[in-house]
Amino acid sequence: MIKIKTTDRYNITPLRSFMTNILSLAAALVVISILFLISGVNPIFAISEIFSGSFGSFYGIKETLTKAIPLILIGAGLTLAFRAKFWNIGAEGQLLMGAIFATWTGLNFGESLPPYIIVPLIFLAGFTGGAFWGIIPAILKIKFSINEVISTLMLNYICAEILTMLIVGPWKGKERFGFPGTNNLPDSAILGIIPGSRIHYATLILSILCAIVLCVVVYKTRFGYETRVVGENPHAGKYAGINFLKTSIIIMAVSGGFAGLAGVGEIAGIHHYLGYPASVSSGYGFTAIIVAWLAKLNPLYAVISGIFFAGILVGGDAIQISLGLPAATVQIVNGTLLIFLIMGDYFLKNKIRFEMQ
Amino acid sequence: MKKWIVLGLISSLFFIGFSTAGFAADKKLKAGFVYVGPVGDYGWSHAHDMGKKFAEEKLPWLETIIVESVSEADSARIIDRLVQQQKCDVVFTTSFGYMEYTIKAGKKYPDNFFMHCSGFKRSENVGTYFGDLYQMYYLNGIMAGALTKTNKIGYVAAFPIPELIRHIDAYALGIKAANPEATLSVKWIYAWYGPDKAKEAAEALIAEGCDALAFTEDTPAVIEVGQRHSEKGKQIYTFSHYSAMQPYGVDSVVSGQLMDWGGIYVKVLESIHNGTWTNDDIWWLAKEKAALLGGSKTDMINPKFVKPLQNAMIDTKEFGKIAAYKLVMMRYEQMKKGVEVFEPFTGPIKDNKGNLKIKAGEKASKSDLLSIMYYVDNVKGDIPK
Repeated sequence: MIKIKTTDRYNITPLRSFMTNILSLAAALVVISILFLISGVNPIFAISEIFSGSFGSFYGIKETLTKAIPLILIGAGLTLAFRAKFWNIGAEGQLLMGAIFATWTGLNFGESLPPYIIVPLIFLAGFTGGAFWGIIPAILKIKFSINEVISTLMLNYICAEILTMLIVGPWKGKERFGFPGTNNLPDSAILGIIPGSRIHYATLILSILCAIVLCVVVYKTRFGYETRVVGENPHAGKYAGINFLKTSIIIMAVSGGFAGLAGVGEIAGIHHYLGYPASVSSGYGFTAIIVAWLAKLNPLYAVISGIFFAGILVGGDAIQISLGLPAATVQIVNGTLLIFLIMGDYFLKNKIRFEMQ
Repeated sequence: MKKWIVLGLISSLFFIGFSTAGFAADKKLKAGFVYVGPVGDYGWSHAHDMGKKFAEEKLPWLETIIVESVSEADSARIIDRLVQQQKCDVVFTTSFGYMEYTIKAGKKYPDNFFMHCSGFKRSENVGTYFGDLYQMYYLNGIMAGALTKTNKIGYVAAFPIPELIRHIDAYALGIKAANPEATLSVKWIYAWYGPDKAKEAAEALIAEGCDALAFTEDTPAVIEVGQRHSEKGKQIYTFSHYSAMQPYGVDSVVSGQLMDWGGIYVKVLESIHNGTWTNDDIWWLAKEKAALLGGSKTDMINPKFVKPLQNAMIDTKEFGKIAAYKLVMMRYEQMKKGVEVFEPFTGPIKDNKGNLKIKAGEKASKSDLLSIMYYVDNVKGDIPK
């Protein structure tokens, strides 16, 4: 009989980590190639189409970057929460709440204020909205021991319903002729784009700045140390005099606030009005969970994994458009890639030996 | 200022010149279709894809590309890809939520054509088209009103927008024509594709006593509920929506409405190909054979329910006492001749608050129908605000 033995691996070098990811990716591509072969498509052609659709062409790169903006912001914010073992599944709702706050600010003050005032103001409003929606489960968890997975998940639906109520009710705009949705934001509140693309550069720069600042906070400050203690050893944290309520509130204010910023980017940079939840965000709050995980909970790596994941999503278009395969294939390909990348992580952290008995 | 006008004129002349001379008879035309759901949804996107396939067979110079399950948030990217990478000459965007992105794309790509389905915004190179089924809902309403035993009829509805209100009202007017005693209850599920929610809503309506159900949702979920109850001995009448769903409920589906987009797609693509395209709104009904009666491709009314409908007598002003079956057929024939001959929305029509909305003898105009936001007087409750 063969026995499988696993032991923790302690000497994880950056090179080993990098090679694991490359090997996982290669293994995933082999499985995906088999899937393509079964569908009657040349796998080499298919995979090259996917990568040229995301990173290998000017069109692909600009779309990948557009899609990466919300993923970087939310992903970076989530790394902080996950470090503290605060399982925030509610970034989608926090994004929407940010979008709601930003739209209100933009519609009410946008006409009378110049862009250099209104744009920072809507970002501030979006951050506040997201933070507000993020703090609720933090208080519920610390004060009433309510599991944050449940509360953050459920708050997503509550926020989506609030948004729907606003756009079919009091906020329904004249410009929409009876259909749900607010009016367009005034021009001063609309973010500039890089010509010929849909990249709202203000949010792109902001997302990278946020990731850098958060990285410094996490690794170089007392607060960053506290978040790690809260996550890894709550008992030690208590003896060390860490205020759990305060720390959790700050963590979720930042995590939710970053999601709120992503909401501002989508509204002011892309859609220009508030519509149904599904038209504001295509599930960025959930996708970013994987982004944070792939980034190994390092905010700075979230920039890379955000761009990588955006590339996978955008490259997926090619599967439908160039290869004529059904949309579900895109999800199968993306799912396979992720499973392999996450499995790779296991082999990175654990040594595996086969022993004959 | 003047300079810009001149420049604009020149460029638009240029544009017209291009669009007329652009496609010689043998030149290929490439069309992209953006669908909101999967083509296998058995509803909206499926029907569009059938129309696309019909056009492909009919037009030898046509080349097509489809993209399915495109969320509204992603539609701009997909349109960009179809135009920039795939070099589509024309893009059909087939969901209301794509409207703003289609208009923006029209501005961004002045040399391409865009056709947006179900919207109301047009521009120089963006046209709109729609095939509406409200007349078929009226005919279904006659049948529901004639068959109901409980005088309670239900409707499972997707979103409170004018299109749905128009269908609910037309259904209610049909019910009223057959059975002035019956009332209509509506349940909103806030989803185009939501079989679970539709099932719940259908069960709730049946629990309230409704025995005839129509719906707007892209799966046969409501029909499956009706079929299950009918098999157990409680007859529930259902009306198939958009695709031929009768096979899912042979004991429950009475009739329904079918949409044929093929004709519209052929017309639009031919006009672009031969340079006669304009951005006039295309609004096709029974007359143009876009809207068809039936829950299956072969029978307009399920043979199982033909007899009961022939036995159900209805008092009408126009034809005296007449069988429900015959009334449906006569009204359908009139609809095929055009709205001038018969229009379900002919006054007097009151809303369910008692206000007169359409005066006696007057017919609702197309713009009235497109913006309708009130329930007629035999519908219960309020439109969600």
